[in-house]
Amino acid sequence: MKTTVPIIIAFLSGFVMILAFFVSPESVTFGNFELEPEVLSWVTIVGGFTLLLGVVSIVRVNYNAVKRRNDGWVYKLATLISVFAMAIPAVIPNGLSPLFGTGPGSIYDWLFNYLDAPMMSTMFAMLAFYIASAAFRAFRTRNTEATLLLVTAVLVMLWRIPMGEIMLKSIHESIPGLINTYIMNGANMAVQRGIIIGAALGAAAMSLRIMLGIERTYMGK
Amino acid sequence: MNLVDFLQIWIIAFFTLSLFSFLYKDNPFYKIAEHIFAGLSAGYYVGLIWHSVIIQQMIDPMLNNDKWWLVFPGLLGVLMFSRFSKRFSWISRMSLAFVMGNTAGIFLLSELHGKVLPQIQSTMMSLNPGQGFADFLLALVIVVGVLSTLIYFYFSKEHKGALGKAAKVGIWMIMISFGAHFGYTVMARISLLIGRVQFLIDDWCGSIIQLF
Amino acid sequence: MNLWLILAYVLLIAAGIFLLYKAFKSGDRRFIYLAVAFYVIFPVLITLHLPIEISPEVRQLYKAVESLPDSATVLLTFDYYPSTLAETEPMSRGALHHLFRKHCRIVTMTTVPLGGPSIAERVTRNLAEEYGKVYGIDFVNLGYKANYVAVLKGMGSSIETIYPTDNSGTPLSDIPIMKDIKSYSDMDFIYVVSDNGIVDYWMSIVNAQYDIRVGTGVTAVMAPRFYAYLQAGQMTGMLGGMKGAADYEMLVNQPGTATKGMTAQSLVHLFIILSVIAGNVVFIIEKKRKRQGAKV
Repeated sequence: MKTTVPIIIAFLSGFVMILAFFVSPESVTFGNFELEPEVLSWVTIVGGFTLLLGVVSIVRVNYNAVKRRNDGWVYKLATLISVFAMAIPAVIPNGLSPLFGTGPGSIYDWLFNYLDAPMMSTMFAMLAFYIASAAFRAFRTRNTEATLLLVTAVLVMLWRIPMGEIMLKSIHESIPGLINTYIMNGANMAVQRGIIIGAALGAAAMSLRIMLGIERTYMGK
Repeated sequence: MNLVDFLQIWIIAFFTLSLFSFLYKDNPFYKIAEHIFAGLSAGYYVGLIWHSVIIQQMIDPMLNNDKWWLVFPGLLGVLMFSRFSKRFSWISRMSLAFVMGNTAGIFLLSELHGKVLPQIQSTMMSLNPGQGFADFLLALVIVVGVLSTLIYFYFSKEHKGALGKAAKVGIWMIMISFGAHFGYTVMARISLLIGRVQFLIDDWCGSIIQLF
Repeated sequence: MNLWLILAYVLLIAAGIFLLYKAFKSGDRRFIYLAVAFYVIFPVLITLHLPIEISPEVRQLYKAVESLPDSATVLLTFDYYPSTLAETEPMSRGALHHLFRKHCRIVTMTTVPLGGPSIAERVTRNLAEEYGKVYGIDFVNLGYKANYVAVLKGMGSSIETIYPTDNSGTPLSDIPIMKDIKSYSDMDFIYVVSDNGIVDYWMSIVNAQYDIRVGTGVTAVMAPRFYAYLQAGQMTGMLGGMKGAADYEMLVNQPGTATKGMTAQSLVHLFIILSVIAGNVVFIIEKKRKRQGAKV
């Protein structure tokens, strides 16, 4: 039962979507209940709760680290304080004060716009330094394939910047156009198409396996 | 510039520079900024899900539109938390199966109808040399590129003989594509850094200049 | 061009070469970091106005939006995380300038949980004030709902079932702009700005099944992948990275942060190309030395 019932649920849930592909939503309506959009809204509701699982996990892990006074527990405490500083004002009704809730002017909104978002941007901005360092230290023409990769990368990097376009045009007027046509819209496009087709066939096969109950890894042990 | 705006800019600048300080050496300023960032990101989800899912998608429609059946997805959502219990974690399979089955049903058709068919159709290009050398060459590159890439990723047979040669062409095409990807990735990463530097110079240094 | 400016840039390039040499000698990558920092900071302080050649795919997207009738309904998505704001926010701003100028009715939404609704709210309201647009009549922010595959599919039959309210909790039935927008069939164009793979599903689920044109603005990391959709006609134009955003800013005549960033972009690219070439020259010389040493 612990395995059979979920398999039946998965099949029925998927079958509704397959039916919806061929049959118009209006013809599968029971009063106020339109089958396809309602089932999809149920999925979005369940999906929302799934996002909270991660939050519970973070709180548990950091709480245990603080309780046991592990190495760096002060930083874990900062994490816990940040979680609650963001979460608690957000769930209090904003009728009590405009500082509560998630609207503009709330604590939640302020913490996101003035702390979270800039820090997230900065974390990713640091990758620029790492990619420059990696290009300098590791990017070597060890064989034909690596040389092909390197030459294409250099051409594309030049083509994408105004100074580079001027340099390429000074060699020959048509070079930027040729890069766009034969590299980006030619070889690159063809390879990406091959990958898209292969991945899509794999996804379709995996979807069939899930619906038929052959693939059960998503259920865990 | 008023005092509140000034302080806000300085708070952003403090945390930005704390994170950048890691490039020199790991230090407590970086660690505290990193941990605060992780906590805020997790906390953001709580507010978002509370309002956009629980209030707007469940409670309001149940009370105002008589959609009493929304208690069922709510129950399925709550059952997800049984994953934290070793004894009752099997209950969460119902919720997972519901979501996974639904997504599988959508993908089964959309992947074939929306990706495989249109992409294959667009690859069926004319290889007639009479259409002009440029168009013919492009069509040839595309057809050979798609076929050789698909052949390269076919691992059920050893890459020998004609298959091996086609796979070799495939790997060259793939290297060209990855080179293009690398070039674009460099551009992407640099752009993100430019964004932060624009803030530090235009807004933060601008606020300092305004003091004088 | 100003002689002092040329001199400043020559000194900058010399400084970069010196730092590259120091990095080679010492093996300390922090010299590379310092050089990258110089090449980004300096052009932000002193910008060169370089001519920008508009890419064909950007022009395609611009023309598609330009050809929409005034008061057309457009779905504008904010499918990006705050980490990529430098690339994607200029795209959203460019799109909003274009759409507001054409008096299009704009429905905004996001499939990104971390920050999407807040960014959509901030950017749209900011620009709406400039054009005198009224929330609820000229534009609306639907916000976020979980599980993007279900959201994309569900909006094809009933937006109101997936989004019973807008982002701030107002029922859709109380919002004037949503009175006659029930699904994709009531929209004229979808403008997706994204930094992740959701674009694939906008193509395979929405464009393929509901036959509505979709144009995109994507980060440079994602852009090479989507040329396949462009060529197949599934995608109507694409902005790729900061360069694409700068191109669009020029077309809508609103030069912003993307246009200003192109000088810094140029210098760092040239520095990276130089460091790659220099690294490989040293690699080849050392390889030859080892071979000669082995022969002896």
